[in-house]
Amino acid sequence: MGRLFVESLEGNVYSCKHCKTHFALLEDIVSKAFHCRHGKAYLITNVVNVTFGEKEERMMITGMHIVADIFCVCCGSIVGWKYESAYEKSQKYKEGKFILERFKVLGPDGSTYQGIPEAQFAESDADEE
Amino acid sequence: MGGVEDDQPPSKRVKVTSKHLEGFANGFSPRESPSCSLSLMMARPLSSKGDDEILGTKGIVKKVELVRIITEALYSLGYERTGAHLEEESGIHLQSSVVKLFMQQILDGNWDKSLHTLHKFSQLDETTIKSASFVILEQKFLELLDEEKLMDALKTLRTEIAPLCINSNRIHNLSTCIVSPSQYDQTEFAAKTAVKAKARSALLEELQRIFPPTVIIPERRLVHLVEQALDLQRDACIFHNSLVQDMSLYTDHQCGRDQIPSQTLQILQEHSDEVWFLQFSHNGQYLASASGDHLVIIWEVNSDGTVNLKDILSGHQKPIFHVSWSPDGLQLLTCGVQETARRWNVYSGECLQVYEKNGVSIVSCEWAPDGKGIYFGFTDKSMSMWNLEGKEVECWKGQRIVSISDLGVTSDGKKIITICKNSVILLFDKESNVEKFIEEDETITSFSLSSDNKFLLVSLVNQEIHLWNIEGHFKLVGKYKGHKRTRYVLKACFGGFQQSFVACGSEDAQVYIWHRGSGKLVETLPGHSGAVNSVSWNPGNPHMLASASDDGTIRIWGLNQVKMKPRGPDSNGVHYSNGGTPGEKARVLE
Repeated sequence: MGRLFVESLEGNVYSCKHCKTHFALLEDIVSKAFHCRHGKAYLITNVVNVTFGEKEERMMITGMHIVADIFCVCCGSIVGWKYESAYEKSQKYKEGKFILERFKVLGPDGSTYQGIPEAQFAESDADEE
Repeated sequence: MGGVEDDQPPSKRVKVTSKHLEGFANGFSPRESPSCSLSLMMARPLSSKGDDEILGTKGIVKKVELVRIITEALYSLGYERTGAHLEEESGIHLQSSVVKLFMQQILDGNWDKSLHTLHKFSQLDETTIKSASFVILEQKFLELLDEEKLMDALKTLRTEIAPLCINSNRIHNLSTCIVSPSQYDQTEFAAKTAVKAKARSALLEELQRIFPPTVIIPERRLVHLVEQALDLQRDACIFHNSLVQDMSLYTDHQCGRDQIPSQTLQILQEHSDEVWFLQFSHNGQYLASASGDHLVIIWEVNSDGTVNLKDILSGHQKPIFHVSWSPDGLQLLTCGVQETARRWNVYSGECLQVYEKNGVSIVSCEWAPDGKGIYFGFTDKSMSMWNLEGKEVECWKGQRIVSISDLGVTSDGKKIITICKNSVILLFDKESNVEKFIEEDETITSFSLSSDNKFLLVSLVNQEIHLWNIEGHFKLVGKYKGHKRTRYVLKACFGGFQQSFVACGSEDAQVYIWHRGSGKLVETLPGHSGAVNSVSWNPGNPHMLASASDDGTIRIWGLNQVKMKPRGPDSNGVHYSNGGTPGEKARVLE
């Protein structure tokens, strides 16, 4: 592949589990109470160093959404998705934000997260309320 | 009355002479006239209230003004009789009688009378009258001096010029001329008094400049307007990529696409891995390419436009992401990823120096414009200037970001340009220690400095390329979109005739070319089978382009040979690319 463009973040950074590429800052996390196939997930306002998959409709616990999967720009592993639009009015606040799967990233202290083996939640995004 | 519409009330019809009618009678109606912007013969008045008559379709050309500048053009060309005839026939005078008298008085040297006439002009304000009086009296003064009538000259200076109370510096100059006449011989005004007639018509020209243009029509005004129109046509031509000697007035200038390089002339396959960067030397005779195979290759550009391998520079242990030609073109600087930088002799292929700094990696490097130093950017966020032997000469800390970054140095050596935050570019003036910033809304992936140091091409993470004017007050002057960039650093560049184009590679394996002034996408060149990382336009040949790709090849692009048409005498500098066979003359729409 060509000469990758990789942004560096400063502060408490969540990075790729495989290649340590920076994704997001702790301070950009909106909510830590989301869930995905592998367990915990975070709703984040801004993510860097990712490429986007195709936009597609997906049914979440909270309703139908249009999302695009996000992939690490360096190693290509899938790390979450971006909410492009929400059908339910109450879910509109998520539009333009990202979900980062905790299982796929290293925390700011370098910690990993083992995740929940095989989903209770198929393709979910349960909220606090 | 011929082609003029009969449904218009008689009072609104133009009084046309029979000569004028001929054009209409032959079925040549204004609507079917050729698509010329200068449709001078379209006398279709939208309103006709005497002096307010408007010509043309846009309602902005006043008939009286048009006729007057045509008359002036006739006189300028030497067609005195025709000029006079036009004045008579149209009833529109080039100059009012007052102005005519005034001009004659100036040429005859009747200074006092001319001043008297000057005050009869109706359209002049106080300041203009004073300025005009000043130059007239100045001429009077100089001529008196010339005739050695010193007392008269002094009197003029004291009683006529001084009371005007303007331009006191000049008054002082003039008074020194009385005291030491030799001095004024040496001034630039010596030539003015040399030949009286010439001096007086020069005075007239000076007065033309002082007066508002409605009083005396500026000379050769019509030619000036035509030149303006041609300039605009050329600027609007988005395919314009060569020096067009003749621009015709008969049709609007428009080049065909055939002047833009669009055909692969050569594929260079000597690299064994992705090619990340390439750049022509300043004189366009060499091309240097940098690859993931740890090699830099120097190519030679032959006079017939072909390119062949000259030298392979090996020594780096890592992929190479940047090369930089020395100002004299004799040396090359190369930079490996998280590795060393090396300086090479281009002719011998010998590595002259290796540069590295303990504990940090080099992220960018550029030659100093005097060829005696090198600027480096390091991963510890500092920037340094080293001499050629590797000794640090200057250092600036804390101004850059850690990751991939570009470095730009203006050719006067005064300003250093670098990315200092994700979306901010720093322009640092070394001499004055002033920092200026360009702030973007999105993260910046790379930038390129124009060769005239006046513009910066900034590539953003959101697939837009922005053009900034960095002279004086920073201004965003262009945006270029359409290419694909999601993962890599794609370097954009300027190029073509007078740097009128912007080119960039794309992750869809094509080369994208935009017209710089209008932002329009002019060409996309398919051919590569991997992302195109870098494009370089030959500074010595606007018709040659080189591209570097992840497919391991370099492509040399040139003009599409099939589409090129010979420039016959009728071609009017207009190029057509309708795929015809050579020998077919370009046809002008009639």
